[in-house]
Amino acid sequence: MVSGKSAPRGRRSGGGANSTDRQTERRLQVGVGRAMAHHGELLQGVFEGADGKLHRGLITLPLAAQQSTVTFWPGGKGGIRTRPTDRRKAARAAALTLELLGFANVGGDLTIESDIPVGHGYGSSTADVMAAIRAAAAAAGATLRRSTVCRLAVEAEGASDAIAYGDQAVLFAHREGRILEHFGGEYPPLLVVGFRTGGARPIDTLGLPRARYDGQEIEQFRVLRGLASHAIRQQDPRLIGRVATASARISQHHLAKPRFEAVTDLAEAHGACGVQVAHSGTLMGVLFDADEGGVATRTTALAKTLRQAGFKGIVTFAVNVDGVFLQ
Amino acid sequence: MSGEGDFLAAYETPRLARLAPNLFAACFPLMKLLPARFMLERAEATGHLQHGGPVAETTSGTFGLALALLAAVRGFDLTLVSAASLIDDRLRRRLEFLGAIVHIIDDPEGSGAQRERLAQLHTILEDRPETFWPRQYDNPDNRMAYGRLAEWITREIGRVDCLVGCVGSGGSLCGTGGFLREVFPDLTIIAVDTHRSVLFGHAPGRRLLRGLGNSLVPSNLRHEMVDEVHWVGAFPAFASAHRLHHDHALFMGPTSGAAALVAAWYARKHPDAVIFVILPDEGHRYQHTVYDDGWLAALEGWPAAVPDEPETLARIEARGEGEWTRLVWHRKPLATMIGAERGV
Ligand SMILES: Cc1ncc(COP(=O)(O)O)c(C=O)c1O
Repeated sequence: MVSGKSAPRGRRSGGGANSTDRQTERRLQVGVGRAMAHHGELLQGVFEGADGKLHRGLITLPLAAQQSTVTFWPGGKGGIRTRPTDRRKAARAAALTLELLGFANVGGDLTIESDIPVGHGYGSSTADVMAAIRAAAAAAGATLRRSTVCRLAVEAEGASDAIAYGDQAVLFAHREGRILEHFGGEYPPLLVVGFRTGGARPIDTLGLPRARYDGQEIEQFRVLRGLASHAIRQQDPRLIGRVATASARISQHHLAKPRFEAVTDLAEAHGACGVQVAHSGTLMGVLFDADEGGVATRTTALAKTLRQAGFKGIVTFAVNVDGVFLQ
Repeated sequence: MSGEGDFLAAYETPRLARLAPNLFAACFPLMKLLPARFMLERAEATGHLQHGGPVAETTSGTFGLALALLAAVRGFDLTLVSAASLIDDRLRRRLEFLGAIVHIIDDPEGSGAQRERLAQLHTILEDRPETFWPRQYDNPDNRMAYGRLAEWITREIGRVDCLVGCVGSGGSLCGTGGFLREVFPDLTIIAVDTHRSVLFGHAPGRRLLRGLGNSLVPSNLRHEMVDEVHWVGAFPAFASAHRLHHDHALFMGPTSGAAALVAAWYARKHPDAVIFVILPDEGHRYQHTVYDDGWLAALEGWPAAVPDEPETLARIEARGEGEWTRLVWHRKPLATMIGAERGV
């Protein structure tokens, strides 16, 4: 059913009807795919598309240090088994990918190794799905466009995020798996002190009700989108921090984080650019300009204060910064 | 471009002009298209306006023109109520040419006949109850329409420290300012009014500078958002419009002149701040008045020297058409400021 629906697109990505026979004769190899976590969003809301209609969309905050690695071992006809067992979305994603690439009804084993915590808004499930798509593509010796990866992910999971775009900042319609706006660049250089608010218990992030935004919020999202575009064009961490804080404030009306004001006060006291949240999760992050003098001292001090205040899962990570920075 | 909406959307988009290193301007051909289109589309979406259904409004100028353009392109049936002292013959003819029905009320004292205009409008609403009345002075959609302008500003400029704009309904300044303050909480908002407009506490009287100011206080004006108010007389506003034309090749209306005058002064005083000013319409409508030497020469007090800076007032007070004054408003409600005057 995938090949039927995506025939025109499949032709463009090299797996069209004409090549199907040739490709089934080709052997599948063992394929490995990786995908990273994210730390919630810099912006999430509804945005006008080129069609003049409103679409749910977001700008993901990537968390490259945590990854899901998926290996696909082809073999047999009895469908795709997973280890750990019952990762149905990842299995379905791999099957859809193989089908698109002209390998229908293939069986095999999918091994998922991930250090991404489940159920806090790190996008663990999406990372597994994306890594499975990439593993399946690698097994077929194919490369896929990022837009194709996203489309397949939405088909497998019902939603996706923009991690397929890696360090490229995009406004992404996560329910549709397509881009609303290419901001035409990478994220401004950031250091992020991330942590979990509220209960340590995981939540079903995809099962959360969708936010109903009012007219005022919808118009405000335009402004945040405009400012995000400027911030990325100018590589300005301060302005992207303003966007994130305003988006997080709107999110407080829909999925409130406990002690939100206390965190924004701490952020300000430590000279941060702003705060961000996982709009469907418990994560919160304080954003710093990675190029500013003394930033390491300030992130360390903030991390310590947050730990003393009882926040869990505190991690400092970098976005678009030279070298490795993870504490 | 796929349909009629596309050009109107492009038409309501301003051009960006840099008037000084730290001063940017949104130059609108006709700013009022923005709230007019937004209000009509919202009204259609919420069922308050049937497609092609009747629309009526009381207006003295550009909002009526914007409605008339929309009504013609989109096939609405439009009735406008204005006063003889407010509307010139050319504008009336243009509105009628677009298909609008224009009722004009006599007002020999030049009062604007706000009350009589409203009474006439209510008669129209009673005759045809399905009529949609946009109510630009009080409809919050007027302010909400300016999310688009705030988006355009942040996209083009990024950070803004001070927003300067005229006030008539308050929609453009308070709408744009409200959206910008969500990301820039320290944004300074400066309102530009004129002597004998009641918006910031003057007693009503004859005004030569039209398009900004009001003889009623509209609820779209949020006084508690305003840091500072300037009253610009007609003469400094006209001279400033001439200067925009001469120095920047910008052919704008007189309210744009008033706003640019205030913004340029603030930009000189705050060289490290980024200032943004809204210029609401072009000069074509004023070619036979503000841009006509003969018309100007007949004005008592013209030509007038443009002051370099405003006189800072300690209390609310109206002055002559040649003067430019300011008062620090401190984001206070109108009643508080008027109460302070009376020593309450
Ligand atoms: C030429 C002109 N300038 C300024 C304004 C004031 O704008 P607002 O009504 O948004 O306060 C208007 C409003 O009609 C106008 O027509």
